[in-house]
Amino acid sequence: MATSRHQPVYGLMAEFEDPNQLVAAAHRAREAGYRRMDAYSPLPIEELHEAIGFHDTKLPLIVLIGGLVGCLSGYLLQFWVSTMAYPLNVGGKPLHSWPAFIPVTFECTILGAALAAVLGMLALNGLPQPYHPVFNVARFALASRNRFFLCIEARDKKFELAETRRFLEALEPREVTVVAD
Amino acid sequence: MATGDTYSLACTQYHHLMEGRGMVRVATRDEFVKDPTIVHKGFEAPPRTLTLYPDFKYDGYKWGMAIDVNSCIGCNACVVGCQSENNIPVIGKEQVLRGREMHWIRVDTYYSGETQDPETYFQPVPCMQCENAPCEVVCPVGATVHSHEGLNDMVYNRCVGTRYCSNNCPYKVRRFNYLLYQDFDTPSLKLGRNPDVTVRSRGVMEKCTYCVQRINAAKIDSEKAGRKIADGEIKTACQQTCPADAIVFGDLNDPKSRVAQLQAEERNYSILADLNTRPRTTYLAAVRNVNPEIGE
Amino acid sequence: MPDQHAHDYEDPLAAGNIGMGSSDVIAPGHTFGSVTDKISSIVLTQRTSIGWYLGFLTAGSLAILLLISLAYLSVKGIGIWGNNIPVGWAFDITNFVWWIGIGHAGTLISAILLLLKQSWRTSINRFAEAMTLFAVACAGIFPLFHTGRPWLAYWLLPYPNTMGVWPQFRSPLVWDVFAVSTYATVSALFWFVGLVPDLATLRDRSQSRAGRMIYGMLALGWRGSARHWYRYETAYLLLAGIATPLVVSVHTVVSFDFAIAIVPGWHTTIFPPYFVAGAIYSGFAMVLTLAIPIRAVYGLQDFITLRHLQNMAKVMLVTGLIVAYGYTVEAFIAWYGGNAYEGFMIWNRMTGPYAPFYWALITCNVIVPQVLWFRRVRTNVAALFMLSLIVNVGMWLERFIIIVTSLHRDFMPSAWGLYRATFWDYSTFIGTIGLFLTLLFLFVRFLPMISIFEMRTLVPEAKVEHEI
Repeated sequence: MATSRHQPVYGLMAEFEDPNQLVAAAHRAREAGYRRMDAYSPLPIEELHEAIGFHDTKLPLIVLIGGLVGCLSGYLLQFWVSTMAYPLNVGGKPLHSWPAFIPVTFECTILGAALAAVLGMLALNGLPQPYHPVFNVARFALASRNRFFLCIEARDKKFELAETRRFLEALEPREVTVVAD
Repeated sequence: MATGDTYSLACTQYHHLMEGRGMVRVATRDEFVKDPTIVHKGFEAPPRTLTLYPDFKYDGYKWGMAIDVNSCIGCNACVVGCQSENNIPVIGKEQVLRGREMHWIRVDTYYSGETQDPETYFQPVPCMQCENAPCEVVCPVGATVHSHEGLNDMVYNRCVGTRYCSNNCPYKVRRFNYLLYQDFDTPSLKLGRNPDVTVRSRGVMEKCTYCVQRINAAKIDSEKAGRKIADGEIKTACQQTCPADAIVFGDLNDPKSRVAQLQAEERNYSILADLNTRPRTTYLAAVRNVNPEIGE
Repeated sequence: MPDQHAHDYEDPLAAGNIGMGSSDVIAPGHTFGSVTDKISSIVLTQRTSIGWYLGFLTAGSLAILLLISLAYLSVKGIGIWGNNIPVGWAFDITNFVWWIGIGHAGTLISAILLLLKQSWRTSINRFAEAMTLFAVACAGIFPLFHTGRPWLAYWLLPYPNTMGVWPQFRSPLVWDVFAVSTYATVSALFWFVGLVPDLATLRDRSQSRAGRMIYGMLALGWRGSARHWYRYETAYLLLAGIATPLVVSVHTVVSFDFAIAIVPGWHTTIFPPYFVAGAIYSGFAMVLTLAIPIRAVYGLQDFITLRHLQNMAKVMLVTGLIVAYGYTVEAFIAWYGGNAYEGFMIWNRMTGPYAPFYWALITCNVIVPQVLWFRRVRTNVAALFMLSLIVNVGMWLERFIIIVTSLHRDFMPSAWGLYRATFWDYSTFIGTIGLFLTLLFLFVRFLPMISIFEMRTLVPEAKVEHEI
């Protein structure tokens, strides 16, 4: 498959037929020193994120913060309304009826945490991102059905078109494709 | 000639037994003289000190009402008086059959004793204006709250009509405008209304206000004159109309007012006191002077 | 040397970690490709059957009936229903609680069964969550429209306004506002997040330009990146952990509408657990009512197997027993507690004007479902379907009994009255069933009703061997 030397290259993509091959390939790529790469699969594979060396998640902390913000907002709103903004004698109950404030506080906590989880996950993942170079490969459509892909990016320090192609082909993929940028 | 047809009779009260709940307390003269606390036997209210939370203070006017069951003859004049004063709509037979009568005060009739020859008791029931009003706690928009003089204020323009307050009222004194019962258009009806009282549209709850328009008018007059409101200066519509003087309204913080003296009597009790609603409307028990020879 | 992965636990979402007896949760012989094709073809390539059109039309007509009922209600007032004083709430709040309760099964299946690592949740969680969303939508109609002035119902929300007033936070109805809207939001988010990878599948396989564009936009550009999957799985697990206390709290807050009131028959501490168990009971009954026809019509017996139906039947049996315990305790304490009002209340339920409904309730919810003890019944699809309908009816009756019998005769005997439903009470209720079914028909036609990517984790080729 000939590539024009003038077309910018995003990376090289290898297609595999089952998750085992992909996990093994990802390990070998990491051992070979490649860092800028990503693996694509139609289902979550637990071993895969370690294989490509990805550990980061700030998500649990984001969710915790979201929950705390929700909790404090809910409680303080009720407290301020009932004791300061418009205090009213309602059924002889004390103004600061904290037992009665618990349900709303609880629900606000949950809401804050859930919104943080979803929006945080999407934001950290950079989604929505309708365009990405990997979609330029026609067969990549199968990444959402039954095929597994490993893509080593051209940005990687060790990337060299011919050398990396040889490395990938040694992993026995179904096919290795150049991904245009 | 029997036709086999049925005909519905509309009434507002279907059950006339007290079921042992002590709505009307009765004692004979001898029983009462021997033990004046007899009317409270079995119906003790929780002590006012039985609470973790401090009470709200009522240092200014403290409105209350005492209704003497002994005097009430069940004529229902109070109901008519209240309806006229407060622009209460007449809803018609079909709606009464559905159970939606709008009277703010009702006169309950209770029978006891033998079916063939029962004793009859009448009990006018306006809003109890509870200090611990169960209706206030459950209103989601705060359309019913407590004034610093002890009135349970019904705020029509805030009410969204969830009817939770009526569900939670143990005395069932609250009325809901299920449909537009008022005629806003006919000119002659407009003349018949009391301009001091809001005319309620559909979807809002309403109830007895201790004739708050009369209270406020008296307060305005008394403040202008630089004096306190005298006892008897405010008469609620029901009190004004009652031919038997059974209803007495006034300031409980004035020890010399008639209502304060009546509420201090031994005969004085509140209904459903065990719910700790602390109603401002109380009743004076019936004491019957029975003739031992004929037993009545 | 690469890390050794010790799989000492089962994570039903990770590839290769399949629960015990996984052959029971999916028929043998499936591959990544076959599960994808089977599920996505219902949306993308199969011709829409005449049955779908007929069903959609019927449901749609009932939904139109709902619109008419709500319009007439808004114009005339609550008086078109049978509510009165003392029965301020009747069908309106019965329907509200019934629909919310039904929704709880979806969240339980999605969230709680995930945390409990039950792989049988996989083929049912997508449409169960959809059922939750649609049930909550139907439920939400009632708090809005049961008010006398529904155009002002937004006053229950805390927003700064020129009047300087706020909601009254001690009221359980305000708690309801927060609980139900949080529940709707979190369920919608949970459902949508779960859909994203499948929307990508539909985007990639759609044969029409409109399909590619719409699914493409909804898929947010998902490409199955391992980095993304990792955060996705974390978020999904956290959402499940968040949704679990949520689902318990929502029906607890709904039960507070009654338990916080002083009405005899409402004011009882058994309500929160009793309501939550009842919600799961009716929810699973509705899931069965939907799953059984769907799997038959769309040929999904490979994915929704007898094991799924049996497990759901078992959940129904357990929650049905908890509900039966609730009824027993209620009656016992009413007698044992010595409170005259409560004692009268239970006596009135059993022998008063609404006694036939009470005994119908006991039959539907307690007596009939005992047949689930028998394996023959749990494995009989037709029997399960009939039973699920009976339980749904029984749960509706339960809420009706709680609300109407407690209200119609409470503290003051002079205020006792009767409630009779009107045509509009029934039309509004049937209309919401129409709305629910309309939304379901649309869902089944345009979205994958089984979670494709989660089903892929169950096929044999998903198993990843240890690295050597």
